[in-house]
Amino acid sequence: MTQSRNAGLGLIGPATVLILAGFLAPTVIMAMLSLRDYSGMQGIGTDWTLSNYINVLGDWFYLEIILRTLALGLIVTLLCLILGFPLALYILRVGPLMQTTAILLVIFPLLCNIVVRSFGWMVLLSPRGVINEALLGAGLISTPLDLMFNLTGVIIGLVQIYLPFMVLLLVPALQNIPADVEAAALTLRSSRIRVFFTITVPLASPGIITGSILVFVLSISALVTPRMLGGPTYRVMATQIYDEFMTNLNWPSGAALAFVLTFIALALIWAANRVAAHLTRGIPA
Amino acid sequence: MIARKPSWLLTIVALAILFYMNAPTIVVVLASFSDTTYLTVPPQGWTLRWFEFVLGDSRYMRAIWTSLWLAGGATLLSLVLGTAASYALHHRLVPFRDVILSAVMAPLVFPAVVIGVALLQYVSLLGLRGQPLVLLFAHVLITLPYVVRSAMSSLTGINPQIEEAAHVLGASGFTAFRLVTLPLLKPGLVAGAIFSFVTSLDNVPVTIFLLTPRQSTLPVKIFASVEHGVDPSIAAASTLLVAGTAIALILAQKWVSFSRFF
Repeated sequence: MTQSRNAGLGLIGPATVLILAGFLAPTVIMAMLSLRDYSGMQGIGTDWTLSNYINVLGDWFYLEIILRTLALGLIVTLLCLILGFPLALYILRVGPLMQTTAILLVIFPLLCNIVVRSFGWMVLLSPRGVINEALLGAGLISTPLDLMFNLTGVIIGLVQIYLPFMVLLLVPALQNIPADVEAAALTLRSSRIRVFFTITVPLASPGIITGSILVFVLSISALVTPRMLGGPTYRVMATQIYDEFMTNLNWPSGAALAFVLTFIALALIWAANRVAAHLTRGIPA
Repeated sequence: MIARKPSWLLTIVALAILFYMNAPTIVVVLASFSDTTYLTVPPQGWTLRWFEFVLGDSRYMRAIWTSLWLAGGATLLSLVLGTAASYALHHRLVPFRDVILSAVMAPLVFPAVVIGVALLQYVSLLGLRGQPLVLLFAHVLITLPYVVRSAMSSLTGINPQIEEAAHVLGASGFTAFRLVTLPLLKPGLVAGAIFSFVTSLDNVPVTIFLLTPRQSTLPVKIFASVEHGVDPSIAAASTLLVAGTAIALILAQKWVSFSRFF
Protein backbone atom coordinates (compact mmCIF):
# COMPACT_ATOMS: atom_id res chain seq x y z
CA MET A 1 0.00 0.00 0.00
CA THR A 2 2.81 2.43 0.92
CA GLN A 3 4.50 1.60 -2.34
CA SER A 4 1.43 2.37 -4.43
CA ARG A 5 0.90 5.56 -2.45
CA ASN A 6 4.46 6.65 -3.18
CA ALA A 7 3.96 5.81 -6.84
CA GLY A 8 0.72 7.79 -6.81
CA LEU A 9 2.42 10.85 -5.31
CA GLY A 10 5.20 10.57 -7.87
CA LEU A 11 2.68 10.50 -10.70
CA ILE A 12 0.48 13.32 -9.47
CA GLY A 13 3.30 15.43 -7.99
CA PRO A 14 4.55 17.40 -11.02
CA ALA A 15 1.05 18.40 -12.18
CA THR A 16 0.04 19.37 -8.63
CA VAL A 17 3.16 21.49 -8.10
CA LEU A 18 2.47 23.27 -11.41
CA ILE A 19 -1.13 24.03 -10.42
CA LEU A 20 -0.16 25.17 -6.90
CA ALA A 21 2.76 27.36 -7.97
CA GLY A 22 1.43 28.45 -11.35
CA PHE A 23 -2.28 28.94 -10.75
CA LEU A 24 -3.31 28.86 -7.09
CA ALA A 25 -0.49 31.10 -5.83
CA PRO A 26 -1.03 33.78 -8.53
CA THR A 27 -4.79 33.77 -7.88
CA VAL A 28 -4.36 34.16 -4.11
CA ILE A 29 -1.80 36.94 -4.57
CA MET A 30 -4.14 38.75 -6.96
CA ALA A 31 -6.96 38.40 -4.44
CA MET A 32 -4.70 40.12 -1.91
CA LEU A 33 -3.81 42.81 -4.46
CA SER A 34 -7.49 43.54 -5.09
CA LEU A 35 -7.79 44.38 -1.37
CA ARG A 36 -4.97 46.97 -1.39
CA ASP A 37 -5.56 50.69 -1.71
CA TYR A 38 -4.26 52.56 -4.72
CA SER A 39 -3.58 56.18 -5.48
CA GLY A 40 -2.29 57.66 -8.69
CA MET A 41 0.49 59.41 -6.73
CA GLN A 42 1.82 56.65 -4.51
CA GLY A 43 0.81 53.59 -6.50
CA ILE A 44 -0.13 50.40 -4.65
CA GLY A 45 -0.43 50.98 -0.89
CA THR A 46 -0.01 48.69 2.10
CA ASP A 47 -3.42 49.09 3.79
CA TRP A 48 -6.23 46.58 3.46
CA THR A 49 -9.42 47.99 1.95
CA LEU A 50 -12.58 47.04 0.09
CA SER A 51 -12.48 50.32 -1.84
CA ASN A 52 -11.53 48.70 -5.16
CA TYR A 53 -14.64 46.54 -5.11
CA ILE A 54 -16.82 49.45 -3.91
CA ASN A 55 -15.36 51.50 -6.74
CA VAL A 56 -15.97 48.87 -9.39
CA LEU A 57 -19.51 48.07 -8.26
CA GLY A 58 -20.51 51.65 -7.33
CA ASP A 59 -18.96 53.78 -10.05
CA TRP A 60 -21.26 54.23 -13.04
CA PHE A 61 -18.27 54.02 -15.42
CA TYR A 62 -17.49 50.44 -14.32
CA LEU A 63 -21.10 49.46 -13.72
CA GLU A 64 -21.98 50.39 -17.29
CA ILE A 65 -19.13 48.18 -18.55
CA ILE A 66 -20.32 45.26 -16.39
CA LEU A 67 -23.95 45.62 -17.49
CA ARG A 68 -22.94 46.04 -21.12
CA THR A 69 -20.83 42.87 -20.92
CA LEU A 70 -23.72 40.88 -19.41
CA ALA A 71 -26.17 42.19 -22.02
CA LEU A 72 -23.70 41.31 -24.77
CA GLY A 73 -23.36 37.78 -23.35
CA LEU A 74 -27.13 37.37 -23.27
CA ILE A 75 -27.63 38.55 -26.87
CA VAL A 76 -24.79 36.34 -28.16
CA THR A 77 -26.18 33.31 -26.30
CA LEU A 78 -29.71 33.81 -27.64
CA LEU A 79 -28.45 34.25 -31.21
CA CYS A 80 -26.28 31.12 -30.89
CA LEU A 81 -29.38 29.18 -29.79
CA ILE A 82 -31.49 30.59 -32.63
CA LEU A 83 -28.83 29.74 -35.24
CA GLY A 84 -27.63 26.56 -33.55
CA PHE A 85 -30.98 24.77 -33.49
CA PRO A 86 -31.66 24.66 -37.26
CA LEU A 87 -28.05 23.70 -37.95
CA ALA A 88 -28.14 20.88 -35.37
CA LEU A 89 -31.45 19.60 -36.79
CA TYR A 90 -30.01 19.69 -40.29
CA ILE A 91 -26.91 17.72 -39.20
CA LEU A 92 -29.14 15.06 -37.63
CA ARG A 93 -31.46 14.73 -40.62
CA VAL A 94 -29.16 14.94 -43.63
CA GLY A 95 -27.45 11.96 -45.33
CA PRO A 96 -24.07 10.63 -44.12
CA LEU A 97 -21.82 12.36 -46.69
CA MET A 98 -23.34 15.82 -46.17
CA GLN A 99 -23.42 15.15 -42.43
CA THR A 100 -19.64 14.62 -42.28
CA THR A 101 -19.10 17.72 -44.44
CA ALA A 102 -21.36 19.82 -42.23
CA ILE A 103 -19.63 18.61 -39.06
CA LEU A 104 -16.22 19.44 -40.56
CA LEU A 105 -17.50 22.91 -41.51
CA VAL A 106 -18.63 23.39 -37.89
CA ILE A 107 -15.33 22.15 -36.40
CA PHE A 108 -12.99 23.95 -38.83
CA PRO A 109 -13.81 27.50 -37.67
CA LEU A 110 -13.54 26.26 -34.08
CA LEU A 111 -9.94 25.28 -34.71
CA CYS A 112 -9.13 28.47 -36.64
CA ASN A 113 -7.42 31.15 -34.64
CA ILE A 114 -9.74 33.67 -32.96
CA VAL A 115 -7.45 36.53 -33.99
CA VAL A 116 -7.62 35.36 -37.61
CA ARG A 117 -11.41 35.09 -37.53
CA SER A 118 -11.81 38.52 -35.92
CA PHE A 119 -9.44 39.91 -38.52
CA GLY A 120 -11.60 38.30 -41.21
CA TRP A 121 -14.61 40.12 -39.78
CA MET A 122 -12.68 43.39 -39.90
CA VAL A 123 -12.07 42.80 -43.63
CA LEU A 124 -15.77 42.06 -44.10
CA LEU A 125 -17.33 44.73 -41.87
CA SER A 126 -15.10 47.81 -42.09
CA PRO A 127 -16.48 50.98 -43.75
CA ARG A 128 -14.53 50.13 -46.92
CA GLY A 129 -14.89 46.41 -46.35
CA VAL A 130 -16.32 43.64 -48.50
CA ILE A 131 -19.94 43.99 -47.35
CA ASN A 132 -20.11 47.78 -47.59
CA GLU A 133 -18.37 47.84 -50.98
CA ALA A 134 -20.81 45.24 -52.31
CA LEU A 135 -23.86 47.10 -50.99
CA LEU A 136 -22.53 50.44 -52.29
CA GLY A 137 -21.72 48.86 -55.64
CA ALA A 138 -25.22 47.44 -55.93
CA GLY A 139 -26.66 50.86 -55.13
CA LEU A 140 -28.56 49.56 -52.11
CA ILE A 141 -26.97 52.12 -49.76
CA SER A 142 -25.40 55.52 -50.40
CA THR A 143 -23.16 55.77 -47.33
CA PRO A 144 -21.29 52.87 -45.68
CA LEU A 145 -23.10 51.14 -42.81
CA ASP A 146 -21.51 51.27 -39.34
CA LEU A 147 -20.92 47.56 -38.90
CA MET A 148 -17.74 47.73 -36.85
CA PHE A 149 -16.36 49.42 -33.72
CA ASN A 150 -19.79 49.11 -32.13
CA LEU A 151 -22.14 46.52 -30.61
CA THR A 152 -23.17 45.13 -34.03
CA GLY A 153 -19.62 44.16 -34.98
CA VAL A 154 -18.86 42.54 -31.63
CA ILE A 155 -22.09 40.51 -31.77
CA ILE A 156 -21.51 39.32 -35.36
CA GLY A 157 -17.98 38.23 -34.45
CA LEU A 158 -18.74 36.60 -31.10
CA VAL A 159 -21.74 34.63 -32.42
CA GLN A 160 -19.62 33.22 -35.24
CA ILE A 161 -16.82 32.34 -32.83
CA TYR A 162 -18.92 30.54 -30.20
CA LEU A 163 -21.64 29.02 -32.42
CA PRO A 164 -19.60 25.79 -32.99
CA PHE A 165 -19.68 25.01 -29.25
CA MET A 166 -23.46 25.41 -29.19
CA VAL A 167 -23.98 23.19 -32.25
CA LEU A 168 -21.63 20.51 -30.92
CA LEU A 169 -23.63 20.37 -27.68
CA LEU A 170 -27.09 20.62 -29.29
CA VAL A 171 -26.52 17.72 -31.71
CA PRO A 172 -26.08 15.01 -29.04
CA ALA A 173 -28.80 16.57 -26.88
CA LEU A 174 -31.31 16.29 -29.75
CA GLN A 175 -30.00 12.91 -30.84
CA ASN A 176 -30.70 11.37 -27.43
CA ILE A 177 -34.40 12.18 -27.52
CA PRO A 178 -36.34 8.92 -28.01
CA ALA A 179 -38.15 9.07 -31.34
CA ASP A 180 -41.33 7.41 -29.94
CA VAL A 181 -42.07 10.35 -27.61
CA GLU A 182 -42.30 12.78 -30.52
CA ALA A 183 -44.05 10.18 -32.67
CA ALA A 184 -46.65 9.66 -29.94
CA ALA A 185 -47.38 13.39 -29.77
CA LEU A 186 -47.68 13.61 -33.55
CA THR A 187 -50.09 10.65 -33.54
CA LEU A 188 -52.12 12.50 -30.97
CA ARG A 189 -52.48 15.27 -33.55
CA SER A 190 -50.08 17.81 -32.09
CA SER A 191 -48.71 20.18 -34.70
CA ARG A 192 -45.00 19.87 -35.47
CA ILE A 193 -44.30 23.31 -33.98
CA ARG A 194 -46.14 22.35 -30.80
CA VAL A 195 -44.21 19.07 -30.56
CA PHE A 196 -40.98 21.01 -31.00
CA PHE A 197 -41.69 23.47 -28.18
CA THR A 198 -43.50 21.18 -25.73
CA ILE A 199 -41.49 17.97 -26.21
CA THR A 200 -38.24 18.39 -28.13
CA VAL A 201 -37.00 21.55 -26.38
CA PRO A 202 -37.75 20.39 -22.78
CA LEU A 203 -36.15 16.99 -23.40
CA ALA A 204 -33.06 18.64 -24.89
CA SER A 205 -32.87 21.17 -22.04
CA PRO A 206 -29.75 19.75 -20.30
CA GLY A 207 -27.82 20.24 -23.55
CA ILE A 208 -29.41 23.64 -24.16
CA ILE A 209 -28.45 24.82 -20.67
CA THR A 210 -24.89 23.49 -20.90
CA GLY A 211 -24.40 25.10 -24.32
CA SER A 212 -25.94 28.42 -23.28
CA ILE A 213 -23.84 28.72 -20.13
CA LEU A 214 -20.68 27.82 -22.03
CA VAL A 215 -21.37 30.43 -24.71
CA PHE A 216 -22.39 33.07 -22.14
CA VAL A 217 -19.29 32.55 -19.98
CA LEU A 218 -16.96 32.56 -23.00
CA SER A 219 -18.64 35.70 -24.41
CA ILE A 220 -18.37 37.75 -21.22
CA SER A 221 -14.71 36.70 -20.83
CA ALA A 222 -13.72 37.43 -24.45
CA LEU A 223 -10.85 39.87 -24.93
CA VAL A 224 -9.63 39.57 -28.52
CA THR A 225 -12.88 39.91 -30.49
CA PRO A 226 -14.32 42.85 -28.51
CA ARG A 227 -11.01 44.69 -28.82
CA MET A 228 -10.63 44.03 -32.57
CA LEU A 229 -14.27 44.55 -33.60
CA GLY A 230 -15.32 46.93 -30.83
CA GLY A 231 -12.25 49.14 -31.10
CA PRO A 232 -10.56 50.96 -28.21
CA THR A 233 -13.68 52.87 -27.15
CA TYR A 234 -16.24 50.05 -26.99
CA ARG A 235 -15.36 48.63 -23.57
CA VAL A 236 -16.31 45.29 -22.05
CA MET A 237 -15.02 43.74 -18.82
CA ALA A 238 -12.10 41.83 -20.36
CA THR A 239 -10.84 44.80 -22.38
CA GLN A 240 -11.19 47.05 -19.33
CA ILE A 241 -9.16 44.58 -17.20
CA TYR A 242 -6.53 44.63 -19.95
CA ASP A 243 -6.47 48.44 -19.93
CA GLU A 244 -6.29 48.68 -16.13
CA PHE A 245 -3.24 46.42 -16.10
CA MET A 246 -1.45 47.52 -19.27
CA THR A 247 -2.40 51.19 -19.80
CA ASN A 248 -3.75 52.73 -16.57
CA LEU A 249 -1.42 50.60 -14.43
CA ASN A 250 -4.12 50.59 -11.73
CA TRP A 251 -3.55 46.96 -10.84
CA PRO A 252 -5.71 46.78 -7.68
CA SER A 253 -8.71 48.09 -9.60
CA GLY A 254 -8.04 45.68 -12.47
CA ALA A 255 -7.71 42.81 -10.01
CA ALA A 256 -11.07 43.68 -8.40
CA LEU A 257 -12.74 43.78 -11.82
CA ALA A 258 -11.10 40.44 -12.69
CA PHE A 259 -12.57 38.85 -9.56
CA VAL A 260 -16.03 40.24 -10.30
CA LEU A 261 -15.81 38.59 -13.74
CA THR A 262 -14.52 35.33 -12.25
CA PHE A 263 -17.28 35.31 -9.63
CA ILE A 264 -20.00 35.78 -12.27
CA ALA A 265 -18.50 33.02 -14.47
CA LEU A 266 -18.02 30.48 -11.66
CA ALA A 267 -21.43 31.17 -10.09
CA LEU A 268 -23.15 30.61 -13.44
CA ILE A 269 -21.26 27.38 -14.12
CA TRP A 270 -22.09 26.11 -10.63
CA ALA A 271 -25.78 27.02 -10.97
CA ALA A 272 -26.01 25.46 -14.43
CA ASN A 273 -24.47 22.22 -13.19
CA ARG A 274 -27.05 22.08 -10.41
CA VAL A 275 -29.95 22.75 -12.79
CA ALA A 276 -28.66 20.31 -15.42
CA ALA A 277 -28.20 17.59 -12.78
CA HIS A 278 -31.75 18.23 -11.57
CA LEU A 279 -33.15 18.02 -15.11
CA THR A 280 -31.20 14.92 -16.07
CA ARG A 281 -32.77 12.96 -13.22
CA GLY A 282 -35.57 10.90 -14.69
CA ILE A 283 -34.32 11.13 -18.28
CA PRO A 284 -32.80 7.83 -19.38
CA ALA A 285 -29.28 8.33 -20.69
CA MET B 1 -35.23 12.48 -32.65
CA ILE B 2 -37.54 11.31 -35.39
CA ALA B 3 -35.48 10.47 -38.47
CA ARG B 4 -36.73 12.67 -41.29
CA LYS B 5 -35.20 14.25 -44.38
CA PRO B 6 -34.41 17.95 -43.95
CA SER B 7 -36.90 20.25 -45.67
CA TRP B 8 -35.78 22.69 -48.37
CA LEU B 9 -36.15 25.60 -46.00
CA LEU B 10 -34.05 23.90 -43.31
CA THR B 11 -31.37 23.04 -45.87
CA ILE B 12 -31.11 26.62 -47.13
CA VAL B 13 -31.02 28.04 -43.59
CA ALA B 14 -28.39 25.51 -42.48
CA LEU B 15 -26.16 26.11 -45.51
CA ALA B 16 -26.41 29.87 -44.96
CA ILE B 17 -25.34 29.42 -41.32
CA LEU B 18 -22.43 27.17 -42.36
CA PHE B 19 -21.38 29.87 -44.84
CA TYR B 20 -21.55 32.55 -42.13
CA MET B 21 -19.41 30.37 -39.85
CA ASN B 22 -16.66 30.01 -42.45
CA ALA B 23 -16.90 33.40 -44.20
CA PRO B 24 -14.18 35.25 -42.22
CA THR B 25 -11.61 32.49 -42.77
CA ILE B 26 -12.39 32.33 -46.52
CA VAL B 27 -12.09 36.11 -46.81
CA VAL B 28 -8.71 36.19 -45.05
CA VAL B 29 -7.28 33.42 -47.22
CA LEU B 30 -8.52 35.09 -50.43
CA ALA B 31 -7.25 38.54 -49.40
CA SER B 32 -3.74 37.20 -48.78
CA PHE B 33 -3.30 36.45 -52.50
CA SER B 34 -4.31 39.91 -53.72
CA ASP B 35 -1.73 41.84 -55.75
CA THR B 36 -2.72 45.16 -54.14
CA THR B 37 -1.27 47.08 -51.21
CA TYR B 38 -4.70 47.27 -49.57
CA LEU B 39 -7.00 44.44 -48.55
CA THR B 40 -9.59 43.51 -51.12
CA VAL B 41 -11.88 40.55 -51.81
CA PRO B 42 -12.19 39.04 -54.35
CA PRO B 43 -8.41 39.46 -54.83
CA GLN B 44 -7.24 41.57 -57.77
CA GLY B 45 -4.42 39.74 -59.52
CA TRP B 46 -2.81 36.76 -57.83
CA THR B 47 0.49 36.98 -56.06
CA LEU B 48 2.54 35.16 -53.44
CA ARG B 49 4.54 38.23 -52.50
CA TRP B 50 2.78 38.75 -49.19
CA PHE B 51 3.81 35.25 -48.16
CA GLU B 52 7.36 36.02 -49.30
CA PHE B 53 7.22 39.18 -47.19
CA VAL B 54 6.04 37.34 -44.06
CA LEU B 55 8.50 34.45 -44.45
CA GLY B 56 11.34 36.90 -45.09
CA ASP B 57 10.49 39.23 -42.20
CA SER B 58 12.60 38.40 -39.15
CA ARG B 59 9.96 39.61 -36.64
CA TYR B 60 7.25 37.45 -38.22
CA MET B 61 9.60 34.46 -38.37
CA ARG B 62 10.58 34.87 -34.70
CA ALA B 63 6.89 35.02 -33.80
CA ILE B 64 6.14 31.88 -35.85
CA TRP B 65 8.99 29.94 -34.20
CA THR B 66 7.93 31.10 -30.74
CA SER B 67 4.38 29.93 -31.45
CA LEU B 68 5.53 26.55 -32.72
CA TRP B 69 7.98 25.64 -29.95
CA LEU B 70 5.56 26.92 -27.35
CA ALA B 71 2.66 24.84 -28.69
CA GLY B 72 4.85 21.77 -29.26
CA GLY B 73 6.57 22.01 -25.88
CA ALA B 74 3.37 22.70 -23.96
CA THR B 75 1.63 19.76 -25.66
CA LEU B 76 4.50 17.35 -24.89
CA LEU B 77 4.75 18.44 -21.25
CA SER B 78 0.97 18.33 -20.86
CA LEU B 79 0.91 14.80 -22.28
CA VAL B 80 3.52 13.58 -19.79
CA LEU B 81 2.18 15.41 -16.73
CA GLY B 82 -1.46 14.88 -17.69
CA THR B 83 -1.22 11.16 -18.42
CA ALA B 84 0.71 10.50 -15.18
CA ALA B 85 -1.76 12.56 -13.15
CA SER B 86 -4.80 10.96 -14.80
CA TYR B 87 -3.43 7.47 -14.13
CA ALA B 88 -2.95 8.24 -10.43
CA LEU B 89 -6.37 9.93 -10.17
CA HIS B 90 -8.18 7.17 -12.03
CA HIS B 91 -6.70 4.37 -9.94
CA ARG B 92 -7.24 6.38 -6.73
CA LEU B 93 -3.57 6.16 -5.79
CA VAL B 94 -3.67 9.57 -4.08
CA PRO B 95 -5.69 11.21 -1.30
CA PHE B 96 -7.99 14.21 -2.00
CA ARG B 97 -8.68 12.88 -5.49
CA ASP B 98 -11.66 15.17 -6.25
CA VAL B 99 -9.92 18.29 -4.94
CA ILE B 100 -6.84 17.64 -7.09
CA LEU B 101 -8.96 16.90 -10.16
CA SER B 102 -10.95 20.15 -9.75
CA ALA B 103 -7.72 22.11 -9.29
CA VAL B 104 -6.23 20.65 -12.49
CA MET B 105 -9.41 21.44 -14.44
CA ALA B 106 -9.83 24.95 -12.92
CA PRO B 107 -7.89 26.85 -15.62
CA LEU B 108 -10.58 25.68 -18.05
CA VAL B 109 -13.41 27.47 -16.23
CA PHE B 110 -11.50 30.59 -15.14
CA PRO B 111 -11.74 33.46 -17.66
CA ALA B 112 -8.47 33.37 -19.61
CA VAL B 113 -7.88 37.10 -19.20
CA VAL B 114 -8.04 36.63 -15.40
CA ILE B 115 -5.38 33.88 -15.53
CA GLY B 116 -3.34 36.23 -17.72
CA VAL B 117 -3.37 39.19 -15.34
CA ALA B 118 -2.85 36.97 -12.28
CA LEU B 119 0.26 35.49 -13.92
CA LEU B 120 1.45 38.94 -15.04
CA GLN B 121 1.38 40.17 -11.46
CA TYR B 122 2.96 36.97 -10.12
CA VAL B 123 5.89 36.84 -12.55
CA SER B 124 6.49 40.58 -12.11
CA LEU B 125 6.76 40.01 -8.34
CA LEU B 126 9.19 37.14 -8.93
CA GLY B 127 11.12 39.19 -11.51
CA LEU B 128 10.63 36.49 -14.16
CA ARG B 129 8.72 38.42 -16.82
CA GLY B 130 9.74 37.49 -20.35
CA GLN B 131 11.46 34.22 -19.35
CA PRO B 132 10.71 31.61 -22.04
CA LEU B 133 10.18 28.95 -19.34
CA VAL B 134 7.47 31.07 -17.72
CA LEU B 135 5.63 31.21 -21.05
CA LEU B 136 6.00 27.45 -21.46
CA PHE B 137 4.62 26.65 -18.00
CA ALA B 138 1.76 29.13 -18.46
CA HIS B 139 0.81 27.29 -21.64
CA VAL B 140 1.06 23.90 -19.92
CA LEU B 141 -1.34 25.25 -17.31
CA ILE B 142 -4.00 26.01 -19.94
CA THR B 143 -3.43 22.90 -22.09
CA LEU B 144 -3.21 20.36 -19.22
CA PRO B 145 -7.01 20.20 -18.63
CA TYR B 146 -7.60 19.03 -22.23
CA VAL B 147 -5.13 16.14 -21.90
CA VAL B 148 -6.45 15.17 -18.45
CA ARG B 149 -10.05 15.24 -19.66
CA SER B 150 -9.37 12.95 -22.64
CA ALA B 151 -7.04 10.67 -20.66
CA MET B 152 -9.53 10.30 -17.80
CA SER B 153 -12.38 9.41 -20.14
CA SER B 154 -10.19 6.92 -22.07
CA LEU B 155 -9.03 5.29 -18.82
CA THR B 156 -12.66 4.78 -17.81
CA GLY B 157 -13.16 2.69 -20.95
CA ILE B 158 -10.23 0.34 -20.26
CA ASN B 159 -10.87 -2.97 -18.53
CA PRO B 160 -8.58 -2.96 -15.42
CA GLN B 161 -8.18 -6.73 -15.65
CA ILE B 162 -6.07 -6.37 -18.82
CA GLU B 163 -3.32 -4.53 -16.93
CA GLU B 164 -3.69 -6.95 -13.98
CA ALA B 165 -3.17 -9.84 -16.41
CA ALA B 166 0.11 -8.22 -17.50
CA HIS B 167 1.17 -7.97 -13.85
CA VAL B 168 0.35 -11.64 -13.28
CA LEU B 169 2.48 -12.54 -16.29
CA GLY B 170 5.41 -10.80 -14.60
CA ALA B 171 5.43 -7.32 -16.14
CA SER B 172 6.57 -4.52 -13.81
CA GLY B 173 4.23 -1.58 -13.20
CA PHE B 174 5.75 0.66 -15.84
CA THR B 175 6.19 -2.11 -18.42
CA ALA B 176 2.56 -3.13 -18.05
CA PHE B 177 1.52 0.50 -18.50
CA ARG B 178 3.77 1.05 -21.52
CA LEU B 179 2.87 -2.16 -23.35
CA VAL B 180 -0.78 -2.56 -22.39
CA THR B 181 -2.49 0.60 -21.13
CA LEU B 182 -0.67 3.21 -23.24
CA PRO B 183 -1.64 1.71 -26.64
CA LEU B 184 -5.26 1.59 -25.47
CA LEU B 185 -5.03 5.23 -24.39
CA LYS B 186 -3.53 6.40 -27.67
CA PRO B 187 -6.69 7.62 -29.49
CA GLY B 188 -7.74 9.64 -26.44
CA LEU B 189 -4.27 11.08 -25.98
CA VAL B 190 -4.04 12.06 -29.67
CA ALA B 191 -7.35 13.91 -29.36
CA GLY B 192 -6.16 15.62 -26.17
CA ALA B 193 -2.83 16.51 -27.80
CA ILE B 194 -4.53 18.11 -30.80
CA PHE B 195 -6.81 20.16 -28.58
CA SER B 196 -3.90 21.28 -26.46
CA PHE B 197 -1.71 22.15 -29.48
CA VAL B 198 -4.48 24.23 -31.06
CA THR B 199 -5.33 25.85 -27.70
CA SER B 200 -1.72 26.88 -27.17
CA LEU B 201 -1.29 28.07 -30.76
CA ASP B 202 -4.52 30.06 -30.47
CA ASN B 203 -3.92 31.69 -27.14
CA VAL B 204 -3.79 35.46 -26.83
CA PRO B 205 -5.45 36.45 -23.51
CA VAL B 206 -2.85 34.68 -21.31
CA THR B 207 0.21 35.05 -23.57
CA ILE B 208 -0.14 38.76 -24.24
CA PHE B 209 0.41 39.62 -20.56
CA LEU B 210 3.59 37.56 -20.27
CA LEU B 211 5.52 38.82 -23.29
CA THR B 212 8.11 41.58 -23.23
CA PRO B 213 7.75 44.19 -26.00
CA ARG B 214 10.50 42.40 -27.97
CA GLN B 215 8.76 39.00 -27.83
CA SER B 216 5.73 37.83 -29.78
CA THR B 217 3.75 34.81 -30.87
CA LEU B 218 2.05 34.75 -34.27
CA PRO B 219 -1.52 35.48 -33.02
CA VAL B 220 -0.25 38.20 -30.66
CA LYS B 221 1.75 39.72 -33.54
CA ILE B 222 -1.36 39.76 -35.77
CA PHE B 223 -3.46 41.16 -32.92
CA ALA B 224 -0.92 43.96 -32.32
CA SER B 225 -0.41 44.71 -36.04
CA VAL B 226 -4.13 45.26 -36.58
CA GLU B 227 -4.02 48.25 -34.19
CA HIS B 228 -1.60 49.99 -36.55
CA GLY B 229 -3.74 49.40 -39.65
CA VAL B 230 -4.37 46.41 -41.85
CA ASP B 231 -2.58 45.26 -45.01
CA PRO B 232 -2.36 41.99 -46.98
CA SER B 233 0.75 40.81 -45.08
CA ILE B 234 -1.44 40.31 -42.00
CA ALA B 235 -3.78 38.23 -44.16
CA ALA B 236 -0.83 36.18 -45.39
CA ALA B 237 0.38 35.53 -41.82
CA SER B 238 -3.19 34.55 -40.90
CA THR B 239 -3.41 32.21 -43.90
CA LEU B 240 -0.25 30.45 -42.72
CA LEU B 241 -1.94 29.87 -39.34
CA VAL B 242 -5.10 28.58 -41.04
CA ALA B 243 -3.02 26.25 -43.24
CA GLY B 244 -1.23 24.90 -40.17
CA THR B 245 -4.58 24.25 -38.50
CA ALA B 246 -5.99 22.54 -41.58
CA ILE B 247 -2.96 20.24 -41.82
CA ALA B 248 -3.31 19.35 -38.12
CA LEU B 249 -7.00 18.62 -38.69
CA ILE B 250 -6.34 16.34 -41.67
CA LEU B 251 -3.59 14.47 -39.83
CA ALA B 252 -5.86 14.17 -36.81
CA GLN B 253 -8.61 12.60 -38.86
CA LYS B 254 -6.29 9.68 -39.59
CA TRP B 255 -6.21 8.83 -35.89
CA VAL B 256 -9.50 10.00 -34.48
CA SER B 257 -12.87 9.91 -36.11
CA PHE B 258 -14.77 13.15 -35.64
CA SER B 259 -17.72 11.21 -34.33
CA ARG B 260 -15.63 11.26 -31.13
CA PHE B 261 -16.86 14.81 -30.65
CA PHE B 262 -20.37 13.50 -30.08
